[in-house]
Parts: sequence; structure tokens; C-alpha cells
Amino acid sequence: MKNLNLYLILILSFPFTPPAQADPTSEIRIGSKKFTESVILGEAITQHLQVNGFKASHMDQLGGTRLLWKALVQDELDIYPDYTGTILYEILQDEEISSNADIQVALAQHGVSITDPLGFNNTYALGVTPQTAEQFSLKAISDLRQHPELRFGFTNEFMDREDGWPSLRDHYQLPQTAVRGLDHDLAYKGLQAGSIDLIDLYSTDAEIAYYQLSILQDDESYFPDYRAVILYRTDLLDRVPSIQTYLNQLAGVISETEMIDMNSQVKLEGRSEAEVAQSFLSLKFNTLSEIVVSSRWDRIISTTSEHLFLVCLSLGAAILVAIPLGIWGARNATLGQVILSIVGIIQTIPSLALLVFMIPLLGIGGPPALVALFLYSLLPIVRNTLSGLTGISIDVQESARALGLPAPARLKMIELPLAARSILAGIKTSAVINVGTATLGALIGAGGYGQPILTGIRLDDTSLILEGAIPAAILALLVQWSFDLAERTFLSPGLQMKQESTS
Amino acid sequence: MIRLKDISKSFDGNEVIHDLSLEVPQGKTVVLIGPSGCGKSTLLRLMVGLLWPDRGNISLFRENLTKNNVEILRQQVGFVLQDGGLFPHMTALQNIRLMADFLNHDHDATNNRITELHELTHIPKELLKRYPSELSGGQVQRIALMRALMLDPQILFLDEPLGALDPLNRVSLQDEMKTIFNQLGKTVVLVTHDMGEAASLADLIVIMKDGYLLQYDTLSTLSTDPADPFVTEFINAQRKPWQQLEDQIK
Repeated sequence: MKNLNLYLILILSFPFTPPAQADPTSEIRIGSKKFTESVILGEAITQHLQVNGFKASHMDQLGGTRLLWKALVQDELDIYPDYTGTILYEILQDEEISSNADIQVALAQHGVSITDPLGFNNTYALGVTPQTAEQFSLKAISDLRQHPELRFGFTNEFMDREDGWPSLRDHYQLPQTAVRGLDHDLAYKGLQAGSIDLIDLYSTDAEIAYYQLSILQDDESYFPDYRAVILYRTDLLDRVPSIQTYLNQLAGVISETEMIDMNSQVKLEGRSEAEVAQSFLSLKFNTLSEIVVSSRWDRIISTTSEHLFLVCLSLGAAILVAIPLGIWGARNATLGQVILSIVGIIQTIPSLALLVFMIPLLGIGGPPALVALFLYSLLPIVRNTLSGLTGISIDVQESARALGLPAPARLKMIELPLAARSILAGIKTSAVINVGTATLGALIGAGGYGQPILTGIRLDDTSLILEGAIPAAILALLVQWSFDLAERTFLSPGLQMKQESTS
Repeated sequence: MIRLKDISKSFDGNEVIHDLSLEVPQGKTVVLIGPSGCGKSTLLRLMVGLLWPDRGNISLFRENLTKNNVEILRQQVGFVLQDGGLFPHMTALQNIRLMADFLNHDHDATNNRITELHELTHIPKELLKRYPSELSGGQVQRIALMRALMLDPQILFLDEPLGALDPLNRVSLQDEMKTIFNQLGKTVVLVTHDMGEAASLADLIVIMKDGYLLQYDTLSTLSTDPADPFVTEFINAQRKPWQQLEDQIK
């Protein structure tokens, strides 16, 4: 229910309250990126604040750096954990930074403050299997120059970061060309399966020990420090001045070994991030925070309600907009082409890109996901309304006019009923696509079946993936069946017989 | 009843009706006939405001046809298309009642009218529950005729109403229509390319060619006093089977 409540709050508060006017008693919003360590840190910050009497909530595994940073700057989040290297080379890449003080000044310009490092350094590293290391005698990154045939699989973020692959390649003069981007959690699997030879990884990854990977030494010292820090909105201090003390309590308490250990508890032992953060905090601060452990059924019920909320609202709005657009387009061929082209172009925008575009306008959570789903649902309905109306035979159109029916009555009594089969089919297509696309809502904190799928991929937990995938498939089938039923129930028998005789 | 004055109409720059005038007297059946593409169907559509002339004007019931009064005037005329133009999502009965119900006519009066029309068109009552896709071509045309007559219009327009029927159905419906028109005394404008049909139904015949009105007269005047060689040619072109037999014997 956590996420549902969150975005209900977001939706309800969005149109009414200007973001600048923060209520001091309002919830402190903590975000985390969609990898385990970030979720653990987000959970630790949240619990540490809760146990000290703050109202705090955690919007976990939201997405990548850009999304989290935008959400922080746009006042959709108050706090999230990040790394010094990321701040330097990605967030502040266009600014001249030479010292830690410079970082603080640069962040302050965005209204953001930073804590002291939490302790461990989770820098980038390149890893290979022990077999590969032995076969090609790889010890350091510079050894890669001798083996241009090696295939690299890097995270998409590493592929295009300022401090990622392109400048690493230039720094070490690496010759490899077989380089592709893929998800971090899938990269380990690719490495094990032998479809790639080398991956980028984080030095605190639990999998390094688990897969006994060999880390190549950064012998020409390329990778910068990636020390974990907490970023927070400076105006949070106006709301809750005491918070700085509690955030700084977390500085310097997490060593590299402790972080690797926490990561492996989640990834390899299957404990939840909340539990792991709880044990760690109780060890360090002798506190016991409350965590909610939800059963699988609780989770399915809450993800189902989130998913249905996303699908029903976005599809409903799409129907209300798309059918009039289709009617309008059917009146005038040129206009129809223009409308179809516009909704067609919207359809080609990648969903993740569309979600990111909308953060500045709508923040994170339910609203941007709803708007994205709404936009994606338009095309099939507009197209089918338009073709359904323009496909009505001239005879029928002429006789409707010749009877003396005014245009609104013709539309309601003759044209729309005759186009109903086509319109219904368009809505069905939209609904089925919508059910599938709504799983991406999890990337932006809107919950739904994407949440367990995302977590399942991250933790390599098949049962968790299925917990999202199976209900999503069932929902898609139910949608399909209910539309088939609606077609049989509501469509005039006269039209159904026609279909039978012509098919 | 219907008056067309100096009507011209073009499609995409091609003029298909040239400066045509025509007057249809009350209670008469006028048949528009001519080869394909002569403009007869276009002329019919101009009379109901389904198309608008580029020049000239059209009046129905002594009232000029404009975009403002076209819907009201259409409700006072009946229109039947070659394929009937029935609405496939409605039963035969719903098709017939549509306008009466739309105009909130009294329910009992509507039912009485439907019974009258039954007797007129010889359509069995149980057929009315069917959808157009379950009816034969002849039945569809009878239902379309019932729909056109529902509001008891003064004028009836028919665009090749028998064109899609087989010869047997054609003849029997042609006879029925002749009886109905005589019985009701309506003003009728009918488009056809079949001279036999025109001969059997028409009080007056309009012969058209390439968008021009060649002659407007009774059948007997057309044959005895043709205004153009084409009139004779067109009348004689439609040979009867027994005529062909005669020709062979000769």
C-alpha cells in the first residue's frame, strides 16, 4: 500500500499545492535508484529518520541518476543517496570543480546540500571470470590493449556517462569494438553464459564474491572515487532544521566490507532491504525501527489496485479524448491525416524517454505514468474511430441525410453505432497495450505490476518476477475477454450477422 | 411541386449538368432516364440537397431549397436508393420507425401507419423483426419504400430502386410500385436506365444525355415526335426478347 498511498498523495496534492510551500509536518520523501545498494541506503536513511520521530517515506528503485536528480531539484523528493563520482562527472559535468568546497557551492546553486561521505567507496571496476583472466593473462585494465577480440557488456548508464566507457577507452587507448549496453543484473548472467567477456561493476557488488570474479586493477588510475553521500534539498532544513544532525549521524559509519555484506544479504540470502537496513541500524545506533513485512498476497492486492488505477484512469481519459478526435478527423480528410500523424509520432517516443520528459512538468509517481499511458492509448482508438466512420457505405450515409436527420442525430443514431465494432476493437487494442506498458510505471514510482518485476530482475528472483508478470498476463487476458463479451452484448446483432456472412 | 431553374453542377472542374431546367407537376410520376453518366442520379441528388448546384436554384413545394431548410424539407420527402440504404444495425421495423420516433410522433399513430404500409407493400409482419442482412433484395426494397412512405411525404424520390433485383422480382415489384403510386397520388421522381420500367411507371419521361435534358414528354410523344435522333435511338435500343426472335425470323 506504501506506493499507492504515496501517489494518491502526489495526485491529490499535485494540482492544489504549489511545491514551494512545504508543510513542516509533511512527510520527508526519500528516493533511491534502482539498484540494491541504493535501495538499502534509502531504506537505512528512511528508518533512521523514522526511529528518530520524523515522518519519512521511501520511494524505492525509482530509476537512474538523472531521474532522481531531477526529482530532487523539482521538489518531488527531499533526500536520496548518491556517489561523489556521479555528482562530479554526471550531475555537475558542465561545471568547473576542483575541490570538495566547489561541489558544495555548485550543488547549492541547485538548492541541494550534501552530507559527509558515509564511509565506503563504491567505484566502478571492470571484472572478468577467473577463466578469462587466466586465458588472456589479464591483471590490469592496460592488459586489455593486447586483446581487441574481447566482448564488453556495460550498463547503459556506463555506456554514455561522462566518466564511463568513452573516456575510459580514450584514457587506456582500448581497441575493443564489440561493446554493448545492457542491464547490470543481466550482465552477470551474460558473463556466466559466456556471451560477453568483461563487464563493468561496482566495487561493493555482492556478486563479485559470489561469482568469484577477477577485478582488473585500475593501473593508470582512471576511475575516480565513488564515495556514498546523502543529497538533500537545502530548504528541507527550513522545514525540519534538526534533520541535518540525523543525516550526518550516518556519515562515516558504513565500511566497504559492511556494504558488501549488506548487498549480499539482499542479493544472495534473499533478505529484504528493509530488514538488512534495520539490522545494520540496530547494530550501529542500538535502535529498532519498525518495518512492515507484507505477504505475497498483500503485495499482489496492492500492485493490482495500483495497476488497475493506472490502466483504468489513463484508458478512460484516452477514450474520452480519442473518440472525439477520430470523429473530427473523419469529417475532413486532411485534418484526419494531421491528427493521425501526431498521435502516431507520440506512439514512437520510447516510454522511458517520455517518462523522463514529464518529470519537470508532473514530477514522479502516478501523474507522469498516467499521462504517458494516456498518450500511448490514443493511437489505436483514434485510428479505429476514424476508419470505422469513414468506412460506412455511401448508401447508408446518403440515406441518413436524405431522411432529414440532423448531423448530431446521424452521428449518434447511425454513424457511431455502425463504427462501434471498429471503435471497440481500437479500445481493446489500447487496453491490452496499456496493461503491458503500465508495468513501466514502476520506474517512476507509480507502482503496479512493474514493481515486483523490477525488483525480481534486480535480485535475480524469478518468483518475484512472476509475481508481477503472471497477474499482468492474466489482466491482459481478462481485458481481452471482457471486450469480446462487450462486443457480443452491445453490438447490434445486425452487424454481427453481417460479419459472419462475409467471413 | 419541384422546380429546377438553370442548374449547373461540376465535379473537380468537369461540368456534369449543363444549365438544366425542369418542372415536376404535382401527383405525376416523372422518370429520369439516360445512359450511364448522363447525370440523372446527380440531378436526383440535387433535388434533395444531397448535392448543391454551382449555379441556378431548386425549389420544393414552392420553397427555395437552402442549407437552412434542407433538413425540414427532406423530412417531407421520401428517398429510396438502389440498395435500399437501410441501416444494417437496425431491424426492418426500427428502420421504418426511425424518423417517426425521432420526431416524437404519437406512438399509436405510428403503429397504425405501419399497418397501412403493410397492406400497401405486402410485407409479412414477422419480416419486420429481421435485420437487413437477413432479407432478400426485393424485401429490402419494400422495407426501404415503407421507410420512405412512413411520414406520408408529398414527394417520393427513387434512385434505380429496382436496379439490383433479379428480373422476376423486378417485374413484380415494378407492378406493385405502379399500383402504390396510382393509389397514393404522390409526386414521384424515379431514376432508371431501363426503358421498359420507364414505360410502365412514367406519366412523363426525361431523356438525358451528357448532362443535357434532350426531351421531357410523354412516352407517346417521345416516340412520335422525338426532339433528337438520340431519343429514338435510346427508345429503340432496349429490345425485348420476342423482338429479337422476330428479327432472327426475318
